[in-house]
Amino acid sequence: MKTVIITEGENIPASADYTLDLAKAEVQDCIGCWSCWWKTPGRCAFKDLDEFYHHYVTADRAIIVSQVTKGFVSGKLKTLFDRMIPLYLPYTEYSTGESMHVPRYGRYPDIEFYYQGTFVPPDGRQIFVDYIQRVFYQFHSKNIVVKPIGERNS
Amino acid sequence: MNTIILNGSPKGNPKQSNSRIFAEHFVKEMRNPCEIKRIAENDSKELARYAAGFDTIIIILPLYIHAMPGLVMKFIEKLEPAPPTPATPSGPKTIGFIIQAGFMETAQHKYVEPYFRRLAEQLNYTYLGTVSKGEAAGIYMYPKMFKKVLKLISELGVAYEKTRAFDKEIVKKLSKPYQLSSFQLRLLKVVDIVGLSNIGWHKVLKQNGAFEQRLDRPFI
Repeated sequence: MKTVIITEGENIPASADYTLDLAKAEVQDCIGCWSCWWKTPGRCAFKDLDEFYHHYVTADRAIIVSQVTKGFVSGKLKTLFDRMIPLYLPYTEYSTGESMHVPRYGRYPDIEFYYQGTFVPPDGRQIFVDYIQRVFYQFHSKNIVVKPIGERNS
Repeated sequence: MNTIILNGSPKGNPKQSNSRIFAEHFVKEMRNPCEIKRIAENDSKELARYAAGFDTIIIILPLYIHAMPGLVMKFIEKLEPAPPTPATPSGPKTIGFIIQAGFMETAQHKYVEPYFRRLAEQLNYTYLGTVSKGEAAGIYMYPKMFKKVLKLISELGVAYEKTRAFDKEIVKKLSKPYQLSSFQLRLLKVVDIVGLSNIGWHKVLKQNGAFEQRLDRPFI
């Protein structure tokens, strides 16, 4: 099973075929140029994630370890989500009763998303979990697990 | 009571920024137009400190993957909570959001709106609300087609200047449709089947000499 790990500096006891550590990597923010959709289809104008893209779309599983920041994903992780748009086509489909991006690739990895940090308002955790579930549903991953890091092996 | 408008567009070319257009129309007909600053061209920490000097912060942003762009989250990370008791002579500080997005239905925004509400609490700010407008991606390309929308944004700004609130009726108009109706879905599916929905994309792909590559999978 090919595994990609995305972290924000944490070491997790899992073997990976590829690791993207957002604490070390300098990932450019998406600048909304749409080059990946209408100039160089599937390729971002920035090249800093090309290796990641290859490993992500050929992986069976992506393990993501997120640092909750002000009750949400960090800016760095949010930038990574934004920069994953080249993996999808510009077209919109409506088969689920709502607007959805159309997949560019035949399959996408299952997601194990673990988070660490605190949520101050009582429903903050649910807002966070709902958001992550929605992101990877929109990204066409079939199996999505979102849990606190402490429950990783449960 | 003073307000700063923060344009959360990460666009490299601000001329192509729909958030900029929204921001300019929001203040256009105010008696005393609010200051507008662009998050992308400022240091986040310094801008957060500067914005904290205002009674109200309104962030106008595009929806990227159901939430704020990474650049805007990096700015939010730098916002410090206001003191818990009246931070201004006129009461607590206030924060609000105006989202513009490509997808038609504003239900797409429902994953970030509750977060913005809770963020305001974390910051000890009063939550002004979140205004949502879908199907806005083409505004900078075809501004004449969006005259009505931009007029509503200007009216929202005028009402805000008078009341310090987002006018509920205007917000309601802008947020339609919240979900796609069964009629709209049927229509969109037909448009999709006959290939009309992708005409705009294909036109630009052809102009860029990239039409034949449009379905490429370069990373496998």
